[in-house]
Amino acid sequence: MQLPSVLLENAVNEFAKLPGIGKKTALRLVLHLLKQDTGNVQLFSETIAKMRQEIKFCQRCCNISDGDICAICANSFRHQKTICVVENIRDVIAIESTQQFNGTYHVLGGLISPLDGIGPDQLNIESLVNRIQKEETEEIIFALNPNIQGDTTIYYIQKKLQPLNCTATTIARGISFGGELEYADEMTLARSLANRLPVQQYVKG
Amino acid sequence: MPVLRFSNLHIIQFRNYQDQQFNFDKRIIGICGPNGTGKTNLLDALYYLCFTKSYFSRPDGLSMKEPAGGFRISGEAIAGEKKGELTCIVRENGRKEFSENNEPYKKFSAHIGKYPCVMIAPDDVQLITGGSEERRNFIDTIISQVNKDYLQDLIDYNKVLLQRNSFLKSASENQHFDEALLSTFDKQLAEKGQYIFSARVKFLDEYIPVVKEQYQLIAGKEEAIALKYDSQLLNAPFTELLIQNRSRDLYLQRTGAGIHKDDAEILLDQQPFKSVASQGQRKTLLFALKLAEYFFIKSHKGFSPLLLLDDVFEKLDAERMENLLTQVCVKEDGQVFITDTHQQRLALQLSNINADYQLITL
Ligand SMILES: Nc1ncnc2c1ncn2[C@@H]1O[C@H](COP(=O)(O)OP(=O)(O)OP(=O)(O)O)[C@@H](O)[C@H]1O
Ligand SMILES: [Mg+2]
Ligand SMILES: [Zn+2]
Repeated sequence: MQLPSVLLENAVNEFAKLPGIGKKTALRLVLHLLKQDTGNVQLFSETIAKMRQEIKFCQRCCNISDGDICAICANSFRHQKTICVVENIRDVIAIESTQQFNGTYHVLGGLISPLDGIGPDQLNIESLVNRIQKEETEEIIFALNPNIQGDTTIYYIQKKLQPLNCTATTIARGISFGGELEYADEMTLARSLANRLPVQQYVKG
Repeated sequence: MPVLRFSNLHIIQFRNYQDQQFNFDKRIIGICGPNGTGKTNLLDALYYLCFTKSYFSRPDGLSMKEPAGGFRISGEAIAGEKKGELTCIVRENGRKEFSENNEPYKKFSAHIGKYPCVMIAPDDVQLITGGSEERRNFIDTIISQVNKDYLQDLIDYNKVLLQRNSFLKSASENQHFDEALLSTFDKQLAEKGQYIFSARVKFLDEYIPVVKEQYQLIAGKEEAIALKYDSQLLNAPFTELLIQNRSRDLYLQRTGAGIHKDDAEILLDQQPFKSVASQGQRKTLLFALKLAEYFFIKSHKGFSPLLLLDDVFEKLDAERMENLLTQVCVKEDGQVFITDTHQQRLALQLSNINADYQLITL
């Protein structure tokens, strides 16, 4: 694509780095910004820069947070001894929007997959095990995608938890097999949270 | 008895076909034409609609008439009582879409087995002379058509196997391994593997006697042929094998024990079949293996699968050929597609057995 300005081209290239945005869409977005007041665009870019610079990850559950501890962890009305283990922050958002879960979360940051170069050390697994030990967690609920990597991750964590006195359950496989959690509709997700199964039983099924 | 029967086929930009429609109004369909006119491609198009992929394990892209041009295969079939309008589209970018009655599949594996089909093609002797993978694939294709969980377990098994091998590789690079993670993979592998093993045992118990019976029928006489399942899991449970092999696996960076090493041993007069059998005996065994597949699927599905016979006339003498055709076209009630380069030979053979047939000339 031949552009009349290097400044324009740089901006287009930056937008095109975003997932799902091609060169054409990037150009459309940049031209749109060009039509706005300088002040508005200033605000837009500052908001993004500030978000990236100042956002924190909760020291307890690895969720995104404005402070050291996230709003969910800090809410004393939530059940502190129940942890829902999820792959990423999008899953937290999906489950929160069902309004059916009143415990806390732990965000792993991915699933175990040596093929993709992801071992347990790359994930927030050790911090989870330490946390369960320290906080004397009563129940952990695995809300991971029902695929092979999800299973591997559940078994592995389960193995690490064996010496501890904590019940492990998993959300029912009601959500479409191999389908991603974040795409499941709220009703299905809520139902599978309500009908959770002990991990051992899930393993055989 | 209900059968699987196609009433038409429409192929667009697939291999040598630009845009062509076929109607099938008879149960026996002869397809003739000189070499390279698209007989095998027509059969493979039908196979595509049954299995969502080519019989010849060819990537979809190579079946596009024009490179990156995409193709489309559609057809109407009745499977037992159920009507199905099947469409397979491979887009220009290689993306494949498959739908039944305009309902797209999320997982293609869900389609396998609904429209069972048996193909016999010239290169199939590989099944007898080739490596163990050919025989495992053959067995897996049959079981998958009658047992839904089997295919999923097989897919899962292979995924875990890849992960475990990749883990073994990085363990050797880092000179250190996570015991808990290796045990996790072992547990997952053993669980799926043990299930696949018992499904294979159960299948072969039922299948092998039928192969022998069909072999004698086509050969017309008794021959001392034996088939045997060969698996490490016959000697010890999978979990034990994995533990026994652990240090070797870590050293070789791949998984040495498991159902991915299974084979079926074939013997003639207690000698390995592939080294002692004559050409004719090989062909006879090939037909026996395929016909046994046909009967196995039929008895489990409750209806006859589609039978695709490619170039079979090149393979057997006239008398054996007639035996075979009588067997599949007269004694059985399923739909049969047969290709031949010689129109007269094909017409004569089909008239000889009094088949009610239709001829398509390409
Ligand atoms: N991707 C493709 N695009 C275009 N043509 C193709 C493609 N793949 C195969 N063909 C052509 O299709 C033709 C017919 O192939 P096919 O194997 O169906 O013939 P056949 O009638 O079975 O011949 P034979 O009697 O030799 O077995 C071949 O000439 C081949 O060049
Ligand atoms: Mg051919
Ligand atoms: Zn938190």
